[in-house]
Amino acid sequence: MRIGFYICHCGTNIAGTIDAAAVRDFAAELPGVAVSRDYKYMCSDPGQEMIVQDIRDNKLDRLVVAACSPSLHEETFRKAAAKGGMNSFFFQMVNIREHNAWVHEDKAAATQKAKDQVRAAITRVRFHKALEKKSVPVNANVLVVGGGIAGIHAALTLANAGKTVTLVERDSTIGGHMALFDKTFPTLDCAACILTPKMSAVKNHPNITLWTYSEVSKVEGYVGNYKVTVKRKTRYIKEDLCVGCLDCIEACVFKEPKFRDDFNQGLSKRKPVYMSFPQATPKLVTIDPETCIQLKTGKCRKSCAEACDRKAIDFELKDEMKELEVGAIILATGFSAFDPKRHAYYGYGRYPNVYSALEVERLVNASGPTNGEVVLRDGKHPKAIGIIHCVGSRDEHTNKWCSRVCCMYSLKLAHLLKEHTGAEIYDFYIDMRTPGKTYEEFYDRLLQEGVHFIRGRVAEVNDWAMTPEEEGKLVIRVEDTLAGFVRRIPVDMVVLSQGLEARKDAGDVRRLFNIGCGTEGFFQERHPKLAPVSTFADGIFIAGACQGPKDIPDTVAQAGAAAAEALALVDAGHVELEPNTSHVVEEECCGCKSCVPLCPYSAISFDEAKKKASINEVLCKGCGVCAAACPSGSIRQNLFEDEELFGEIEGVLS
Amino acid sequence: MPLQQTIKYEADRDPHFADWIQSVAGGENLRQCIQCGLCSATCPLSLYMDYTPRRLINLAREGFKKEVLSSFTIWLCASCYACRAECPKQIKVTDIMYTLKRRAIQENAFPKRFPIPVLAREFGKMVFTFGRVNETLLVIDLFLRTNWLRFLSMTGLGLNLMRTGRMSFLPESIKRREELRKILGSLEGKDEFLTWAGPVAKLLDEKEMLK
Repeated sequence: MRIGFYICHCGTNIAGTIDAAAVRDFAAELPGVAVSRDYKYMCSDPGQEMIVQDIRDNKLDRLVVAACSPSLHEETFRKAAAKGGMNSFFFQMVNIREHNAWVHEDKAAATQKAKDQVRAAITRVRFHKALEKKSVPVNANVLVVGGGIAGIHAALTLANAGKTVTLVERDSTIGGHMALFDKTFPTLDCAACILTPKMSAVKNHPNITLWTYSEVSKVEGYVGNYKVTVKRKTRYIKEDLCVGCLDCIEACVFKEPKFRDDFNQGLSKRKPVYMSFPQATPKLVTIDPETCIQLKTGKCRKSCAEACDRKAIDFELKDEMKELEVGAIILATGFSAFDPKRHAYYGYGRYPNVYSALEVERLVNASGPTNGEVVLRDGKHPKAIGIIHCVGSRDEHTNKWCSRVCCMYSLKLAHLLKEHTGAEIYDFYIDMRTPGKTYEEFYDRLLQEGVHFIRGRVAEVNDWAMTPEEEGKLVIRVEDTLAGFVRRIPVDMVVLSQGLEARKDAGDVRRLFNIGCGTEGFFQERHPKLAPVSTFADGIFIAGACQGPKDIPDTVAQAGAAAAEALALVDAGHVELEPNTSHVVEEECCGCKSCVPLCPYSAISFDEAKKKASINEVLCKGCGVCAAACPSGSIRQNLFEDEELFGEIEGVLS
Repeated sequence: MPLQQTIKYEADRDPHFADWIQSVAGGENLRQCIQCGLCSATCPLSLYMDYTPRRLINLAREGFKKEVLSSFTIWLCASCYACRAECPKQIKVTDIMYTLKRRAIQENAFPKRFPIPVLAREFGKMVFTFGRVNETLLVIDLFLRTNWLRFLSMTGLGLNLMRTGRMSFLPESIKRREELRKILGSLEGKDEFLTWAGPVAKLLDEKEMLK
């Protein structure tokens, strides 16, 4: 055995704490070590070239590099080994930076620890076996989950690249939160004007299959080869017959709309048969089984069905389950707005003139319940309006994070409300966060428009008048921290700028797709900087506010990035998998099934005929749980075989 | 010391105050203030001020007129222009200070017996009346209006200055004072000037008009 050993100084990162020359000399004396060198930067081209040359010149058959974390440079040195003509997996990396130099101050002790680490690796590497990466074919189709602006943009990008895309949306229409908005900051573009063309592009794109009113119910398979089951809920409408003429709505036995209109945030009513908004895509009506008399009792005149001259209404329709095969999945499931009722002291739900920001979005919207006229619930027009930032943000009682869009949308609403009502606007903020292109300029504009910016978190909204001018008003109590005193400000209308949070069922979705969530519930990206749209499940990408609060420009950018990552995966045609997987030695397996439920990736199945466990190496991520749990020791994991681990232990202890 | 209520109600605000400041030359950018506090940090006198310049701008913008006009801050401003030069939003803080000073004199809202505003008012009155300043009269006037005990302690110095001819009791005046008033009268905000110059000038002006 001829082992090559290299220790990296990493500038002073390692050499500042560890005596590299001493470790080099120590390693040179260990059995089997043919070459032992130290170098300032092993990851540099000359560093790698030194390895390549030594493998060739000294006929090395094992390689050990003591440097930084394998997650940074393991691949670099594997490639160097391969270039020298050695199997990449005859290499072992020793982390003497994060595990040693960066966390120790005593140089002598750190050097001794480095020697122990190095001896462990050199003892272990002898037992390494030649391994090869596996290549599996990739299905070129992509599934996009969520039809908000993120899902729409990702689907269109992929479809334009020629890929077949299925877009699954839970609601009866695509459009998401953006469809609720009147204007978008900071340019004040009309949201519908920029969104609806993309919605109809999705509907009409030959490469996109649009499934609304549908939910993913099962995901099986692995990167490049996912099998997805989608539940297509019935609208009780034959989708190929309905043209969205709305005659059925007119004919419904409910003469007046009676039920909460979710799209208008409950500011108006709708009938059991409804279409969310005029540009709903697809342009189909939906019958709500919770409120439709026929569906609840079976005793209705069914005047809607009679009115439909295309006979599109069918109360006998049932939900359908559809199966899809895709190579990659993009999750763009969006966010929930914080429920302002949770901050009882702001009076939402108690005082009718306290509104949530989403309600105000509908209120100022020309296609909203009041056609854009700002009329309060008591029928009055507001003369003074208070906008309260950070409702459900930056608060240990509710959500700790900054929701990132509230400052900007509050500024937008301040502008729109001032424009619509001419009212005096008071804007209560903790910090004004306007970090985006032309965002600060928008704040500047609002300052000039004469909005009162009061820095302080509002303590309370109540209706107890203490002065004559406060009679009949909602009083906002706040410390104006810039002026240096507490103020009471009477207003007619209060707008609560709700924060963004993960959807209530984000945990279920996370489990369904086998990806991670942060403590706050948003989907976890693989790396916050360098892999922002990837997840720990290969082939599943995330885009938009399901990953964390973000505004429309960032969401669209992220959706484009997710589409590009998915495209890079499915376009390659095949994918290489790490060989650090487990396998069952069949003759030793006792068929106890202990391993089957333990596998977090559902990679282990049980062969009932042979009464043996079997591991799908494509699904296996090499976590090692099964190998550790197997009572008969019949599960082996590549790169973590018993002799390798015992060698390592022996090396570190001797 | 009795406890004072410090909370402010909407009735404590003058809702037109900020608009008025913006309407006066130099005040246009008042509302663009982002409250960064650079003005206060750069101000060599802010360590003596009751409200820092940043806070004063905020109070002015929010319409707390009484607090602003009765503050010492506007009178401590030495017009060094450091704040105006460095303000990231190019707010002409010094100009706004002048606007507020004029208004404070007009409304007689400045801190009583504080020498700086009294000096400014009496100086103005004298110049607009005679076209010249008589230092002896101005100094006596100032001390009597602010701190007459200090006047007694300064008598020796005053007498010495008179003896050496540095100060005089003789009133000085320019010729053709009516021309000065015409010039001043043609300025913008004539009414403001009349109030500013005080009742004496006004009286003279009326006499001129009667002629």
